[in-house]
This record gives sequence, C-alpha cells and structure tokens, in this order.
Amino acid sequence: MDEQRKGAIDIDRVGVTFTARGEIVEAVSSVDMHVKPGEFVSIIGPSGCGKSTLLNIVAGFVKPTSGSALFDGSPIRGPGSDRGVVFQQYSLFPWLTVRKNVEFGLKMKGTPASQRETQARTLLGLAGLLAFENHYPDQLSGGMKQRVGIVRALATSPQVLLMDEPFGALDAQTRTVMQEILTNMWQQFRISVLFVTHDIEESIFLSDRIYVMTARPGRIKAEIVVPLPRPRTPEMTYTPAFIELVQQLKALIREESLAAMGSELKDGGLSGFGIEVGPRGVEEVV
Amino acid sequence: MHALKQPAEAPTPQTAVPQPVLLEVKTATAARPRLPLTRRKLRLVQWRQPLFSAVLWLVSLACLYAVWHFGTLYRWDFYIRFTNIPTPADVFQKLLEVNRSDKFATNVGISVRRILSGFGIAILLAVPLGLVIGRYRAARDLLMPIFEVLRPIPAIAWVPMSIMLWPTNEVSIVYITFLGSFFPILLNTIHGVTGFDPVLIRAARCLGAGEGRLFWNVILPGALPQIFTGLAVGMGVAWVSLIAAEMISGQFGVGYFTWEAYSLVNYAEIALGMITIGVLGLACSGAIQFIGSLLMPWSAHSTAGRK
Repeated sequence: MDEQRKGAIDIDRVGVTFTARGEIVEAVSSVDMHVKPGEFVSIIGPSGCGKSTLLNIVAGFVKPTSGSALFDGSPIRGPGSDRGVVFQQYSLFPWLTVRKNVEFGLKMKGTPASQRETQARTLLGLAGLLAFENHYPDQLSGGMKQRVGIVRALATSPQVLLMDEPFGALDAQTRTVMQEILTNMWQQFRISVLFVTHDIEESIFLSDRIYVMTARPGRIKAEIVVPLPRPRTPEMTYTPAFIELVQQLKALIREESLAAMGSELKDGGLSGFGIEVGPRGVEEVV
Repeated sequence: MHALKQPAEAPTPQTAVPQPVLLEVKTATAARPRLPLTRRKLRLVQWRQPLFSAVLWLVSLACLYAVWHFGTLYRWDFYIRFTNIPTPADVFQKLLEVNRSDKFATNVGISVRRILSGFGIAILLAVPLGLVIGRYRAARDLLMPIFEVLRPIPAIAWVPMSIMLWPTNEVSIVYITFLGSFFPILLNTIHGVTGFDPVLIRAARCLGAGEGRLFWNVILPGALPQIFTGLAVGMGVAWVSLIAAEMISGQFGVGYFTWEAYSLVNYAEIALGMITIGVLGLACSGAIQFIGSLLMPWSAHSTAGRK
C-alpha cells in the first residue's frame, strides 16, 4: 500500500521574473528541485532569495516564467486542496470557530456536515485542540493558532503540505515545541512536506533533505541530506553530527547573506566613504 | 571570523569555563494554594465594571436633563435663550395629551415605515453592488463614475427633483431616505472587500474554494464588520434625510409633526417631536448593533483599541 503513495514534486529549470516599479526582477533562476512522496524537504536561504516564490509555484499562486513545475506528474495549474498550505500569518478565518475552520476545506469538497464534524474532531484531538473546538481564533495563542492552521491544511487529506515559515512568528520556546509536534504528526501522516524557513536548526531537525538557496536571483547552492535517524528527538540537537551540520549550513548561508547585503550596501552609499564593498569586502569591514 | 568559515575546524577549547549553578527546581506539589478570591468576592468584581458604567451613563443623562430643567426653570437668557423653551413637565404633559388620539402614533408609524423601506432597499442594493464593485475591476470602472458623480449631492437637494421624478409623494420621501443611506453602505462595503486580507483569500483558494464559494463563504463574512459600520452610518443619514424630506414635502411623519408644531407655535410639540426622533434613531442604531452582534459572534472576542 505504501508503494502507491503520492505527493511528488518535480521542479525543472524553473525561472521566475516579475516587474516591480518598471524594473524586471529575476526572483529565481534555473532551479531544479524534487520532493519524493513522503519526504520532508526544506528550502533555506537568505531573506529575499525566492524561497517563498518556489513554494508559491507549487501551491499554484505563482506561474513560473520558464521551466516546468509538476505535481504527481501533471503540471500545476492553480491552487487546489491536494496541496495543503500553512502560512506564516496563521490565516485562520476569524469569523469561524476552530472546528469550522478545520471543516472549511471539507465543506468546499461537499462532504456532508456530520462527516465533516467527525473528521475535524478526530484531527483536532490528535493535535490536542479538541477542548478549543468552539473557540474563535482571536481567543487562541499564536502556537495554538498555527496548530489549527496545520490541522486545517491536513483536513482535506492533501498529498503534500507546503509550509511557508510557519513558525516564524512564534517565540523560541513555542517554536521548538511546535517543531516536535510537526515531526510527530508527519510521522503519523507520512505525506510529503515542503518547508520554507530561514532557521538552520529548524530545517535540520525536521528534514530529510535541505536545499540551500543563493541570494537573488535564487538558485540552488547546495543540497544536503540529513543523516539523523527517525523519529527525531530534541536530544539529537546536541549530538556532534547535528552541530556539524549546523556549522556547515551556517557557513553556506553566511556567504549568501553577505552577498545579498553586499549589493545592498553598495547601493546604500558605503561607497561614499571610499570603502570598496564586495561580498568578501564587507566581512573584513564589519 | 575565519573559524566560522571553515566548519571542519573545531572551535578552540576555552580554558576556564564557568559552571552553571542550578539553584532550585520547583516541582508541583499536591497542596495548591487557595484562591485569594471567594466566590462572592468574584461576583462582586465581575459586576463592578458594568455597574460603574451604568452609573456613568445615568450621570451623563442627568446632566443633560439638569441643563434643560434649570434653564427653563430660571428662564436663562445669555446669548442662548431659554425663554420660550418648554419645560420637561410641559413636554411630558404633551406626550400624554397627544396619545389620547392616534394621530401622533400614526405619524410615528409612517416615519418608521418609510425608514424601514428606504433603508431596506438601500441594503438590498448597496451590499451586493459594493461586494461586486470591490471584487471586480470592470464593475468598479463601469459603476463608480455614476456613483462618484451622484454622491456629492446631498439627499435633501434631491427633494424637488424627487417630487417630479416619482408618481407619489410617499415614494419620493422613501427615495430620499434610500439615497441618504445608500452611499454610506455602498462605500463601506467596497472598503470591506478592498481592505480584505489577501492571505485569507489564498488560504480559501488552496482549500478548494472556487469563485462563487469564495464570495459567499469568505468575502461576505470577512467584509461583514465593515458592512455593519456602513449600516450604522447609513441609518443615521437615513433619519436626517427622512426628517428633512418630511419637513419640506411631507404629509404625516414625525418630521412633518415637528414642522407643523413650529408653524402653529406649539413649543411643547416641537420638543416632543425632536425627542421622538431621537428615541427612534437610538432604537434603530441599537437594533443594528444587536443584529450585528448576533451575526458576528466572533467580534466580541477582539478588544481592538478598547482599553
């Protein structure tokens, strides 16, 4: 039964350009990226590198200018409930209770009300949210809101979960707890996950594989396989293997962040001080 | 700096690392401290706030009444003249007097009927139009020029034209009332859609909502708070327009009653008419607020700017 699992993402030589204030901006350029069914893959890179753009291509919100984006072998034409999306800003419907939020996708599918309720309550139970099913989003904490967001995305039984910095707005403690909850839930549901983040530890702790992106225009700089065993536990973050991965990734990202900042600083007027600024130059100046 | 760039190299070990000291770990004990509040005290705390609010309400209304009472009692005359103003007792007397026949009640009933029809038609037209104009550019480009040209004309300025336009006096007054409330409702509805959080629309779309469902299940409830702002403003303008229309062209209605009292130099009836209009307006906006809280139970949980 495991063999027929779906949720494969195939992005081949994808480029995205858009015009902003009359200028043509290249967001991502010639990106190859693949997610196998049931795999947990992270995209990590400096801010503005186009990681969200890639995720939005898979979600169906952005059309690639060049190249092809396939989901389970067929081209992506627009958003759909076969791909669940979790947003950074929670994006729960404030006029619906927690349970009605979770039921929303099923309602759009035309699932009968009684069945919707059972399914929603089962999922909320798994996420430890059953006691809050009749609360409104405004009554919940950030961590709870995002748990509802994940449960809502899972309710339509999608083949892949697309997560755009889902824990970015949470405090550090809540974030680590949420990461554990997510790995546990992923272990149960066994669907593919494409996870965008700028948090290095987070990407290692959660992923099977990590794509590191360059500064704009975003390209794939490195692809790293995380050798840590499953299930992941918080203790693993102290192991030498984990720490070594963190250091490797930090070095890779740092180069790119400096490259990104270097170009900004050059525009920003550091040159006025007679300081020559390049990607390497900044490091020596700072 | 360079150590960071070469991750293969282990960081140089530091010689004296200060050890962290664990002072005390508190564990949850079985004996929970008793709550400082008894049930009775809790109830008192819960009631204190609304009680205080109610007292302030009464004080505020009492001040207004006091100005009227003492102003008329001592016939104040300092630029503002209370000399001809009826006393509260006069007005109360008049209230009892007018209710001996059903003429006054009929006037009130006719005004309420005009408000309900004018305002009702405005809701039925302005809300769907506002949603469509807010969502679709073509609708906006096609319809907004008409509304932008007509909007600066106050409803009262329509009175002569309205009398010519509509077959009966009654319809023309309803039309004036409708006009007054139409634009506030329309503009607020449009704003409710254009100011909508685009992430919510994305979320709905990737949960499988097509355009039709999106409209009904997301955009309408999402714009509801703004629509109700429009209804509250629209109801106020509807009363302004109605009273003006009744005073100018009317037969019957509270506005007509008030104006007729002025022509007949019946001071107490003028005040009675005014108070009636105020009470009716208050009841109408209260009704809108009540319906709003029924339709939007979630809004009770956001404190927004309230302290």
